[in-house]
Amino acid sequence: MSADVATNDDENGTGRRPLLSWLSTLAMVGGVGAAYATLAAFMGRFLYPARPARRGWMYVTEADDVPSGGSIVFRTPAGATVNVARRGGGRSAEDFVALSSVCPHLGCQVHWEGHNDRFFCPCHNGVFDPDGIATGGPPGEAGQRLSRYPLKVESGLVFIELPLAVIARGDGRVEAPPRPTGPGHDPCLAGRPPAAEA
Amino acid sequence: MANPLVNWFHERLPLADVDLRELTNEPVPNHLKRWWFALGGTPAYLFVVQALTGVLLAVYYQPSAQTAYESVRYITEEAAYGWYLRSLHKWGATFMVAAVILHQMRVYFTGAYRKPREINWLVGMTILTCTLMLGFTGYCLVYEQLSYWGAAVGANIAGSVPVVGDFMKQLLLGGEDYNERTLPRFYVIHAAALPIALALLVAIHIAVVRLQGVTETTFKDDAKRESKTFNFFPDHLMTEVMIGLVLMVILTALASIVPATLGPPADPLTTPEVIKPEWFFYVAFRWLKLFSAQAAILSMGFIVFTMFAWPWIDDWIRRKTRFSEASVWIGIAGVLAIIALTVWEAVVAH
Repeated sequence: MSADVATNDDENGTGRRPLLSWLSTLAMVGGVGAAYATLAAFMGRFLYPARPARRGWMYVTEADDVPSGGSIVFRTPAGATVNVARRGGGRSAEDFVALSSVCPHLGCQVHWEGHNDRFFCPCHNGVFDPDGIATGGPPGEAGQRLSRYPLKVESGLVFIELPLAVIARGDGRVEAPPRPTGPGHDPCLAGRPPAAEA
Repeated sequence: MANPLVNWFHERLPLADVDLRELTNEPVPNHLKRWWFALGGTPAYLFVVQALTGVLLAVYYQPSAQTAYESVRYITEEAAYGWYLRSLHKWGATFMVAAVILHQMRVYFTGAYRKPREINWLVGMTILTCTLMLGFTGYCLVYEQLSYWGAAVGANIAGSVPVVGDFMKQLLLGGEDYNERTLPRFYVIHAAALPIALALLVAIHIAVVRLQGVTETTFKDDAKRESKTFNFFPDHLMTEVMIGLVLMVILTALASIVPATLGPPADPLTTPEVIKPEWFFYVAFRWLKLFSAQAAILSMGFIVFTMFAWPWIDDWIRRKTRFSEASVWIGIAGVLAIIALTVWEAVVAH
């Protein structure tokens, strides 16, 4: 349709010049706008984190140091606590689970309650079973679970996957001794030094 | 029909259209249609580029001896478009120094510093000094070998100034020598103190230009034109937009073809075999090799003082002697000397 208008106007000796002028202005403004918009997009992308952090395997403990049905608490070099639980008697990765201690509700630290056989979040009473699945409180209502660390067992040694930047900060350490679970178990005894038990 | 939005603003900002027109439509002399007279707008545009890219780089940069180099490496190698933004910042700095020098030269050779524009010459010289200091402090922040030794040499030059030298050096380094408190100092000077000072100086500079008007120069073909002036908005602004676009294209091309690199990390125990500052300090670096430290620093101080005081010196020469165009010949000699010393330093290793 615009071509018709241009032709008609051209016959009258007017029209083509204003149209070309209008088109060239549009092209120039568009070009300048697109160029600076590209720059702005680059700047925006620059601010967003580059890519997921590179990750590696960190040694946690010997597989046999975690009793079947029990768990240990591992503190990473960055200070995060990881609950490593053994669910089966075998020595494969499927027999272990490494759970983050960060509550999926609002990020508080959960802790293990041996006598209740559960993880508990003191902030909003979130409750998680030994596999990390929420069974009560806001995370339970939302169907959330504690996030799992990728875990592998090699030559009887347990490793979890962490960002390389965390691994580079030093060694992690096992904080709480193995916690056997089961009927009749008194969790209060688990943390006592041998002298007190004697 | 009155636009309700326009009315809304008018009720809150009592600024009449006529005032706005007067504010933006400063009549500009015809000679500013020549691009080399628009060189004052070039550093202003580059200052915006430097501020924008600088703020972005500051998001990732960590000013401490332990983290600075790694954070620059992260920006260059890992952050998305980090290499591009850092290269823009680096080339923008080079162009800004060059643009300020060229602008200053244009003002010098056209005698635009003469009465009543002496104050703006002083402001312009201070802007040049700030720009050079921004270049120096920015170079030090990378914390590669040349950054470290550049800072060390720069601080020792400041320390060689008679009477106040030691005080200046201690103030610059935050101690007797380069230490863990030095890099944060350079960072604050580079990213806060100098940019704020420069922004204020540019505001004063432009305000004085507006108050006094631009000096008029007439060329042969200007006489044929009917009007002696044209409008700032949109005519001159369009020239500036075009200059900005051309600059952006050149900066992007340079950033892509010759991106900012990263040398070996700073090692306070080993001075590199070949040590050079940024190109705009080549002249001072060569000067320091020609004379003893004290003589070189005192003579450089004298030259800088002469440059600041030039409007009054020139006035004295024009009144007391018959060499009314002496400034042109002195200027040509000065520029040739600066080019010669810069090229000399550039082509030799030591």
